[in-house]
Amino acid sequence: MMISTSEATQNKLTPAEQARREGLMARKPYIAAKLAAISAMEERGEISPIIRLEKSYLCNFQCTHCSAEYYMDRHKKKVFKIADARRKIDLSDIRELSRQADELGLARFVITGGEPLVMKDFDEVVEAIDPEKHYVIADTNGWFLDDKRARHLKSIGVEKVQLSLDSFIEQDHDSFRNKPGSYKRVMRAIDASLDAGLNLLLSTVLVKGRAKTEEFLNLCKFATEKCVGLYVSYAKPTGSCSDHPEFVIDKEDADILRELEKDYNVFTHMTPTYGSFKGCITVKGIITVTSTFEVTPCPYIDFSLGNLRETSLKEVLARGMRNPWLGPYRPDCLIGEDQKFIKIHMEKTKGVTHLPVPWGQGFSDADSLFD
Amino acid sequence: MTPNGLVLEECDLAEKPLPLFDEHGRCIPSKPTAAVHSNTRRYFAIVQPEIEYGDIYKRIKKHLGVSGDITASEFERRAEVILQKLQNDPRTKKITDGVRIPFILPKATYADYGDALERIYLKAVRDSFNNKFPQYDFVNHHKDGLAGKLSIAPESRHARLVEAMQKDQAVGYFFPCLTEYSVPAAIEQAEALPDQFLLAGGFDTCAAMIATPDLLLRTDGYPPLLWLGALQGEKEQVGYHFEAYGYNLTFNRKPHFNQVAEYWCAGLVVLG
Ligand code: SF4
Repeated sequence: MMISTSEATQNKLTPAEQARREGLMARKPYIAAKLAAISAMEERGEISPIIRLEKSYLCNFQCTHCSAEYYMDRHKKKVFKIADARRKIDLSDIRELSRQADELGLARFVITGGEPLVMKDFDEVVEAIDPEKHYVIADTNGWFLDDKRARHLKSIGVEKVQLSLDSFIEQDHDSFRNKPGSYKRVMRAIDASLDAGLNLLLSTVLVKGRAKTEEFLNLCKFATEKCVGLYVSYAKPTGSCSDHPEFVIDKEDADILRELEKDYNVFTHMTPTYGSFKGCITVKGIITVTSTFEVTPCPYIDFSLGNLRETSLKEVLARGMRNPWLGPYRPDCLIGEDQKFIKIHMEKTKGVTHLPVPWGQGFSDADSLFD
Repeated sequence: MTPNGLVLEECDLAEKPLPLFDEHGRCIPSKPTAAVHSNTRRYFAIVQPEIEYGDIYKRIKKHLGVSGDITASEFERRAEVILQKLQNDPRTKKITDGVRIPFILPKATYADYGDALERIYLKAVRDSFNNKFPQYDFVNHHKDGLAGKLSIAPESRHARLVEAMQKDQAVGYFFPCLTEYSVPAAIEQAEALPDQFLLAGGFDTCAAMIATPDLLLRTDGYPPLLWLGALQGEKEQVGYHFEAYGYNLTFNRKPHFNQVAEYWCAGLVVLG
């Protein structure tokens, strides 16, 4: 997930960003005003995380590195031979979440999953979030995103599309995503999104060693030439990647990427935006709401900060901010680089059938950085 | 011999001065009221750069323009005396096992701290960094200027460094040993230490960065963020700091909300 919409600016906006913001102000002044208030909120010590909403984990792909695989019914059936009987969120839950988020000044929702564009009730979910109150982003593999669908998304209030592209080499992307033809569909979706006037972001997963490859450089060049941001997330030792420790990057990969940011339109959510450094954005810049209404601090951390049926969003965020792993500012990736936290996370999630691990069993108010 | 040997032993123990720094040179928190970590797992750490007095002397002279008659050997001699004195005192000995950077500051009087820091010192940090690492960047992310924005925290003792600079060139040692202290805890701690310890502010931290431009450059791990702890920003709970970004060095401003973070560090300075 990216935070390029952050308003925390001490430096000047680029002309393109300025134009985007003016456009939003004209069409959706309420959202534009909330976004514009974020830097002042941060200066007061308040937070405005992006909410990733995982209403459904249905997906037409089976990617090698998927962080949501262990939440999926197909995984529970195949590995644990069980069905998930937990209560799932519905549209009224989403409306309540939207209301609480709005009250706290939060302004951004990403509909993710699973693959959001296979959700039968996708339009209703957008409506329940309320695209006049929140900036809505769809995080998609692009398979179903043709011209017609892109125009439709725009018409129902989606502002931005985040498209996954995991290699600039067609065969590699298709095999990483275990879906022949998916590369071509992404290319189609890029043009469809731009033609429909959607803001577009490409997203890609950086596995160990990839930052040094010609393929990655070519992808950076492609995105830059298209004037589209390339958002990079690191492969983490969670989800499907638990079986692929060789994917997990080291500091050298992260540093090579930091150098590429100078020349190309490529970034992670830790890249400073307009002079504002966020570092790891757990809780401060991002939360995930799962299909069972649990809140996790990052897409890759399977510990809950609370269930929104029992605890208000405000208290859940406060729990996160007072947690010593999550609240304080740090420059590295907690779940991707901090070996001690990775070990705790692996131990506590091992064999757990129903993720995320509930509040009190993974994270709790008794957490400490020390043994 | 006293009739009770045990009592004597206890008396000896009671009189033994407790060390103020741990085996890594970290300043042991003496129960400040502000937020601090009493333990550390040393996850964010600065690695001791190579100290070559001649090179440091040349760098500071070139980029900061220290004029006057101090020679390289005089700089080395005075700096070594600082270390020696610290080593001779069992309470302070361990600070010399931690990261330490000798520096010189010019004789100077400035009308405005922020203006001088920006115009002279940050520029010199940039030049020294670029000179050593032409392939990387020093970026000052704070574009709104520093003039009129910085003041010295009264309890930090940093005003003594500024006074020393007004009289003559100042030679000192910089120790980034207040790791995992909140900014107010760093100020409280400096005040509680023996008289020779000053909390580092802008000029001294910059001098250390000019002396060793690779101070925050690590390829195998993350160094901490370095607060200019003795300086108060234009708003309460706002501070200025150096921070690595990959192989690059940055200067920036940030609200710290009086909180502690594993990633945060401030420096102490001893003049000689
Ligand atoms: S742990 Fe932090 S840096 Fe890593 S993915 Fe999560 S939010 Fe991002």
